[in-house]
This record gives sequence, structure tokens and C-alpha cells, in this order.
Amino acid sequence: MSTDKTADKTADNTAGTTAGRTGDRTGGEPAWLLVTRREIVSRITDKSFVLGTAFMVVLIAGFIGFSIWQDEKTTDVTLGATPDSVAMATAIKDGAPDVDDKVEVTVTELADRDAAEAALRDDEVDAWLHPTDDGWQLTTESSEQDALTTVTRAVVQQTVLADNAAQVGTTVEALQAGSTVTTEFLRGDAERANVAEAVGFVFVFLFYFAALVFGMQLASSVIEEKQSRIVEIIAAAIPLRHLLAGKVLGNTALAVIQLLVYLAVGLVGLSFTSYSSYVPALSGPAAWFVAFFLAGFVALACLWAVAGSLASRTEDLQSTSTPLTMLMLVMFFGGLSLDGRAQVIASYVPPVSAVVMPKRILAGGVEWWEPLLALGLLAVFAGLTVMVGERLYRRALLQTGGRVSLKQAWATAE
Amino acid sequence: MLEIRELTRRFGENTAVDHVSFEVPSGLMTGFVGGNGAGKTTTMRMVMGVLGIDEGEVLWQGRPITRLDRRSFGYMPEERGLYPKQPILDQLVYIAQLKGMEGGAARTAVTELLERFGLGERTKDHLEKLSLGNQQRVQIIASVLPQPQALILDEPFSGLDPAAVDSMVDLLREYTRDDVPVLFSSHQLDLVERLCDRLVVLSQGRRVAAGSVTELRDAGVPRFRLVLGGDAGWVRDLRGLEVLDLDGTTALVEVREAGAEQQLITEATGRGDVHEFVRVRPALSEIYREATA
Repeated sequence: MSTDKTADKTADNTAGTTAGRTGDRTGGEPAWLLVTRREIVSRITDKSFVLGTAFMVVLIAGFIGFSIWQDEKTTDVTLGATPDSVAMATAIKDGAPDVDDKVEVTVTELADRDAAEAALRDDEVDAWLHPTDDGWQLTTESSEQDALTTVTRAVVQQTVLADNAAQVGTTVEALQAGSTVTTEFLRGDAERANVAEAVGFVFVFLFYFAALVFGMQLASSVIEEKQSRIVEIIAAAIPLRHLLAGKVLGNTALAVIQLLVYLAVGLVGLSFTSYSSYVPALSGPAAWFVAFFLAGFVALACLWAVAGSLASRTEDLQSTSTPLTMLMLVMFFGGLSLDGRAQVIASYVPPVSAVVMPKRILAGGVEWWEPLLALGLLAVFAGLTVMVGERLYRRALLQTGGRVSLKQAWATAE
Repeated sequence: MLEIRELTRRFGENTAVDHVSFEVPSGLMTGFVGGNGAGKTTTMRMVMGVLGIDEGEVLWQGRPITRLDRRSFGYMPEERGLYPKQPILDQLVYIAQLKGMEGGAARTAVTELLERFGLGERTKDHLEKLSLGNQQRVQIIASVLPQPQALILDEPFSGLDPAAVDSMVDLLREYTRDDVPVLFSSHQLDLVERLCDRLVVLSQGRRVAAGSVTELRDAGVPRFRLVLGGDAGWVRDLRGLEVLDLDGTTALVEVREAGAEQQLITEATGRGDVHEFVRVRPALSEIYREATA
């Protein structure tokens, strides 16, 4: 591999020529690293990427902020009472905090029915409480006061029940003895199950969103290079394997970094809400999710690159990427809807396992070896798609003139 | 020297390049001409290793070419383009680095070339913001990075205005002076004739002519033009000559039997005044048309 004859002219690239391995290294750096760096730098200096990420962060933070506000706000209601209902209304006012601590009741005394109706129309009171032949009635102007109705029902029931019990010489407690039904979960508890369900949805959605956005981006950057033929200049300089590796690594790094930002914002935000006690418990599953995301994204990224290389113009991407977008949808809905035995099976089947296993980990009750096995299988699958993808990508990339079919790309000579 | 030996490439049933051989000597400009679909681009892509070779081989300095050799070649693909949405300095440095330059050296070399092509002020501009001519200049810079050992340029002059053609030619001459072999394809025959030391003509995947421009022009049947003081009609009666054109005192003849031209001039001087007797070499375009016909 002597280049001595022209050594004077290649003074600048002797670093490359003396590196020993044929052309895989460039000025002191491996070619794939140069490509990775370009992918990352050109992306994070791209306004739309930065703005998109910032927008998502604001959206997540905003959503959490809204839930906190929802959580903490109290409903103030004014309850109108005519002389025949003042006693009960006061009981409701006093009993409200025990039923729902977010509801605060103020009682306004009104002269009679007409005054009550007038007060309702003028919005001076939110509801008017009055007795009927067989109970009590809440009159509102046009819409129901849900919170107030719940409170009123509970207090009225309690008060009337106590009165009735007293009349027959017993107590409510005595009447209710032995009638309580309590629930118990063998695994976790109800609230935890709800949190797991919600976070599981977030995981599935984040995976779908990131895999689609970054996958599309990767595919179109492959087309950009193919369409502009800069790929020929690159192909003459470095092995195409390095180009593919650099692109996949660059986009994976970007996707993971973005995901970590979203997760961090989400978990930190969550610690400010009433669910803050779940943050430590969620961190473990979140770490697993990142690991599964990494393997799953690498597996898909190579396929996205193939989709890009099969097209020869941006317009072709729609059709060459259809199988992949279908796969994404299957993963999305599979991740959301599978349960029971199907979920257990799917949690081992790549690439669906990338979203299903983290969900199972969230729900709890997963043996320690299960995520490891699923991750191992996913990694093997990723290795396979990298190998197959590399072959297809290399062969399709330098074919010009129209779309290349998978079969052509596989069979064609280089 | 770059040697192309019996290069062959088939696409299915179609043989795009059919056992083509020629040389690109160091320090000379070799023009590569041929109609659309003649196989020029396919040949160049095979030389650059961008396309696989079915048969034949490419030699560099007398031994089979390696990837490392190719990396030191300057290459300009046919339908050119770089990254439209990246600053020109950044992407040129990136390409120089891929070709093995170290980051700092690459930046210096690129900046120097950009200044030379009058783009020193625009290093941070995105490629798509430049005029087509300037984009072409950036493309040229991309192909001569770093110091190339050979230049393979597919239609480097297409889309250039005359001034840009001149500065491109100056640049190429600098490389040939440094003993770099240059192979470029072109449709513009006048340009090829003006620039090229050597010429390779392809037609339907086959090499139909190769050699220096003078060699090619001398290669055909010799033709002579004769201008006499009187009527030249008698030329038709001489043996061993074919009269291609006769107009009053002027005749254009093709020599069919060796020595017939000597007889012609003896006869002519015997008959009266001879104003002109000159060998006519066909224009390159004529040779090209004949070769590819």
C-alpha cells in the first residue's frame, strides 16, 4: 500500500495512509465517528429540531403544571337556603370537607322560593336546597354542580340516616355493621396500577413518536445524500459501512438524548405533584425503558436507512417506508392494547418487546431475568437488522434511476 | 499513470461498458467523449470504485488500484450536489476529513481554496443560497480536496460560464503541471480540443478511438487541398485520388494510393501556378462523428 511516489503531495493525509487499516480511518479519527458528529451537529444546529424539542419540553412541563393546578384548586360554591333548609345547608357546609376537601360551601339565607329563583338567575347562589315530599332537592340554573351534588348527597344521606336510626332507637354504625366491602391487590395497589397504566402509555407513545420522527429524519437524510450524489464522493473516500454506522449512531444518540430530556422533565415535574411518592419507583422502569429504547431504535434505524436508500427521490420515501410505518403502528397499538398471556409473549418478541416489556416492568411482578432475556433477544434482532440493512443499504444506495425494490437490492451486484 | 484495462460492466442484458482500455498518463489531460449512454459515467464510477467491476481492472502506478489510492483521487460525480442546507465551509471540511485530512489542516486548505474562487466572504452561507455558478465552484473545490493524486471529473464544465471555465482550466493546468493525471468527460468538443492532450472516444460501451489529438487527426486517410491559378477540373482524371470537392480553382482530394499526392503536385506545377497545397486534418468534431457513427 505504498504511496511513496507521491508522498510530497499527500503530506496532509499521511495520517490516514499510515493508519494501517485500509481507508477506514481518516485524519486520526475513524470515519464513522466523523459521520456521527456531522449528523449530530447538523441536527442540533437545525432550528426546527431545537424548536421542536423545546416545544415538547414546554408541553410536558405545561401538562404537569396543569395537573398540579387541577389538583390543588378548590371549588367554592354558594348554596342558597330557604328557612326550611337552613339547618340542612349548614350541615352540608360543615360536612363538606369530610366528603371532598376540594369543595368549600358557603350558605346564603334566602326568604322564599321566589327570592331563591331570583338569586339563582342573578348568579348570587350556585344552587338552592329545599325539601320535597320524599327528600331533598338541589335546584340549579341550568347546569349541574357536580361537586356540590356529590357532597350534598353524602351529607344528606348521612344526616337523614342518623335521624331515622335514632327514631327507631339504634345508630347508623349498628345498621351498617358488617356491610363494608374492602379491596386488596395481591400485587401493588389500585393507585399504583393506574400510575403504571398512565406511564406505560407515555412510554409507548414516546417510543412511537421518537422512532417515527428520527426514523423519517434518518431516511430523508439518506435520500438527500443519494439524490445529490454526494454519496458517490463519500463512497470513494470511505467504506459505506462507516457511513451507515455513523448515521445510525448519530440519530440514535440524538433520539436517546431527546428521550432523556423528556423523561427528566417528566420525572422532575412529577415530583412536584401528589404522585411524587412514585418517582423513585418509576426511575427503575424508566432506566429499563431507555435500555429497550436504545436497542429497539438501533434495530429500526438500519431499516429506516434502507427505506431511504431504496428511494431515489424524496417523493418515493412515502412508499418505500410504508412497511416500516405499518410496523410502527403495530408496535404502538400492540404496546397499548395487549394484556394477559398475549402481553407476556409479546414482551419477548422483537421489536414489539421494546415497548411491551417496559410496560410489564412498570406493572410489576416481572422476574429479574425476564427483562434481561427480552433485551438480549432485542439486541440479537438489532444485530440481524444491522447486517441485513447494511447489505441492502450498500447495494441500493448507488443505484440510480427510480425506486429500487428490496429484491433487486438484495440480489444486485455491487 | 492510471490504466484502464478491459473494463466491463453489464446491467442485466445491457453491456454498458464493453472491454474498454485506455491510459490516463500523469501530467496530461485526457478528454473522455461520447454521446449519451456511451458509458463514460459508468467507466468513471468503476474507476472510482463507486460501482462494481464485472471484468477487467484498473491499475494505478502499475499495480491494482486500492481503496486508499482512490481516496486520494479527486472525483466529481455527474449529477453533482453537496448538502444544500449546510454551510459551505463546514461541508467541505467534512469531505476533506473523510478523505483523510486532519481537521485543522482541512480548514486551512478549504479556506484557501474558497478565497481563491472568490467565495472567501461566504464560508458560512448554506450551499443553496449560492448562485448555480458558485455552487459549481464549491463542487470543484470538493473534488480537489485534499491534494489529489489524480482527478476524475464527470462533465466538470457543464453549467459554467466562460470565466468560470477559464479559472477551472487554470486550476486543472496547475495539477497537470504537478504531474497529476486528469480524466474529464465533456460534450463540448471545442473545449476538449482546446484543453486535451489526449482523447478517448466511447460509443455504445466500446472504445472507438484513443490517442493524442494530433494522432487522431493524422490517423485518417490523408486529405489535401489544392488551389491553382487556373481551373482545377483536370484533377478528376488523376488515378489514386478521390475528389471530395471541386470548386473552380480549388480542389479537395483524398489519397487512395500512396504517393498519388506527389503525382498531383508534379502535374499541378507542370500546368501552371500553384497557390496552395496543404494537408487538411479533420476537425475533432468530424473525427468524433465518424468514430461514433
